[in-house]
Amino acid sequence: MSVLAGDLRESMTSSAMIAVKNLDFYYGQHKALHGITMDFPKRKVTGMIGPSGCGKSTLLRVLNRMYDLYPGQRATGEVMFDGRNIVAPGMDLNRLRARVGMVFQKPTPFPMSIYDNIAFGVKLHEKLSRAEMDARVEDVLHRVALWSEVKDRLKSSATALSGGQQQRLCIARTIATRPEVVLLDEPTSALDPVSTARIEELLDELKKEFTIAIVTHNMQQAARCADQVAFFYLGELVEIDSTDRMFTAPREKRTQDYITGRFG
Amino acid sequence: MDVTSGPAGSPTTHNARSEAGARRGLDGDAVFRVLVTGAGVTVLALLGAIILVMLFGGVQAFSTFGPAFLVSNVWNPVTHHYGALAPVFGTLVTSVIGLLIAVPLAFGAAFWLTQLAPARVSAIIGMAVQLLAAVPSIIFGMWGFFVVRPLMAHYVQPNLRHTIGHVPVLGALVQGAPFGTGLMTGGIILAVMVMPFVTAVMRDVFSSIPPVLKESAFGLGATRWEVMRQVILPWSRRAVVGAVVLGMGRAMGETMAVTFVIGNANRIGWSLFAPGNTIASLIALEFPESAAGSLKLSSLMALGAILMALSFLALCASRLMLGVSSRQARR
Repeated sequence: MSVLAGDLRESMTSSAMIAVKNLDFYYGQHKALHGITMDFPKRKVTGMIGPSGCGKSTLLRVLNRMYDLYPGQRATGEVMFDGRNIVAPGMDLNRLRARVGMVFQKPTPFPMSIYDNIAFGVKLHEKLSRAEMDARVEDVLHRVALWSEVKDRLKSSATALSGGQQQRLCIARTIATRPEVVLLDEPTSALDPVSTARIEELLDELKKEFTIAIVTHNMQQAARCADQVAFFYLGELVEIDSTDRMFTAPREKRTQDYITGRFG
Repeated sequence: MDVTSGPAGSPTTHNARSEAGARRGLDGDAVFRVLVTGAGVTVLALLGAIILVMLFGGVQAFSTFGPAFLVSNVWNPVTHHYGALAPVFGTLVTSVIGLLIAVPLAFGAAFWLTQLAPARVSAIIGMAVQLLAAVPSIIFGMWGFFVVRPLMAHYVQPNLRHTIGHVPVLGALVQGAPFGTGLMTGGIILAVMVMPFVTAVMRDVFSSIPPVLKESAFGLGATRWEVMRQVILPWSRRAVVGAVVLGMGRAMGETMAVTFVIGNANRIGWSLFAPGNTIASLIALEFPESAAGSLKLSSLMALGAILMALSFLALCASRLMLGVSSRQARR
């Protein structure tokens, strides 16, 4: 069993899109992550679970250096992405964030039209002709299954869409800049079950092209969507394994207690 | 039996209790109610009284000169001819100059304070901005008279006349003897006075942006300026316009500081460096020299009514814009 798990980890390491090694994270004096080491395999979905405050969202925000917006937050260690340690100084953050996109807990449409919401990110990094931009917008809206719902009102305000539609728009906006990694921070926690199901279906499509990291409170969601699952507790990575093994035969007692609902 | 007696019995005891409670609270409540209602009504009555006094006081002027009062730029106490155009012109021009200088500065300051400055520096500067707003206007007047006016007279206007004085259109703006007083100096003083208010409002608006909205934009790889320009500004556009109009209202009503440096001449002209007048300055200066019941006093009252109308218009416009924006934010 353990040999198999080792094999699996090895095969995943070889195609790691992001490799985290001995990562510590601090909110001022408070240490929120303790020596995290894990890989995010290419074109796989990595689920991150654990009780509130366990550090899973913090880790997500390290992967695109979002924490840089706030003074007093810092990371030490190694996060290798495309041959570079992204937490080291001298990183081009705007470029990094275009390559590592993020979708948030609540839908966050910008106060502009549906079309402009998607064009916004694209325009920051690419010079496209009108026709190319139209094609890009249509393409990503198709991929998040929103095109048929909004194709007649691309110029109307994005804030008028329903919550589920807004979140799919935000995913479309994120993939429109053609990132390599997509980070999702509890993307369905503010949505109804039907919208949630549609987003989960979407993830299956998206992982063909993107490396995905999803933070979720919903154990079933992790089981349904993820290829590998990481369990965090009090800022430590307790266990990481393939989804099947994680939910059928976890090695750690804490993991078992959490996924069976004994705490958290 | 229990079930039926319960509902039947309890309402009476409940009513009795609440009536007793109401009686006990009645005396204190009633007094308090009368007091606060009185306070509220007093504010309303004061406002109404001020408006009425202005309008009644101005009736004589309005009936003597008719609509011509608004479009005549004569102000001649000897021939008893009075018109509002020159001070209205001065009021609007100085206010606009003040805003043209203050708004970009305020925007820059608010942007820097909310987006770039370290938290501690932002807190200190934010405090300084509020202190600037608390400086009495007479201080600005003296500062304008002793510092800004000589600078304008000795350096700014002479240099401008040398450089752009012969350019066809721009030249007209800088003509005249270098007194140092005038519309431009008034505008500069107003800019310094209005800037803190506009900065404070803009700062509040910019910092009330939901963090996730900003993070989303940063998450797409936008720079701080791109986030400001394309997300924060559109989000807060109306509130920013509201802040500007609020500043306009303040600038128009400002009296003492402007009186020091405006030059107090009832004329309309192209030159920004020529002495002019504003409604508030004119009233402040001429009021002591107006006999009770005279046409001059009535004309000053009428000017006051016009100024109030202008200020109300600015205030209403800003309230409208701020209100719409906060409704958007809630949604």
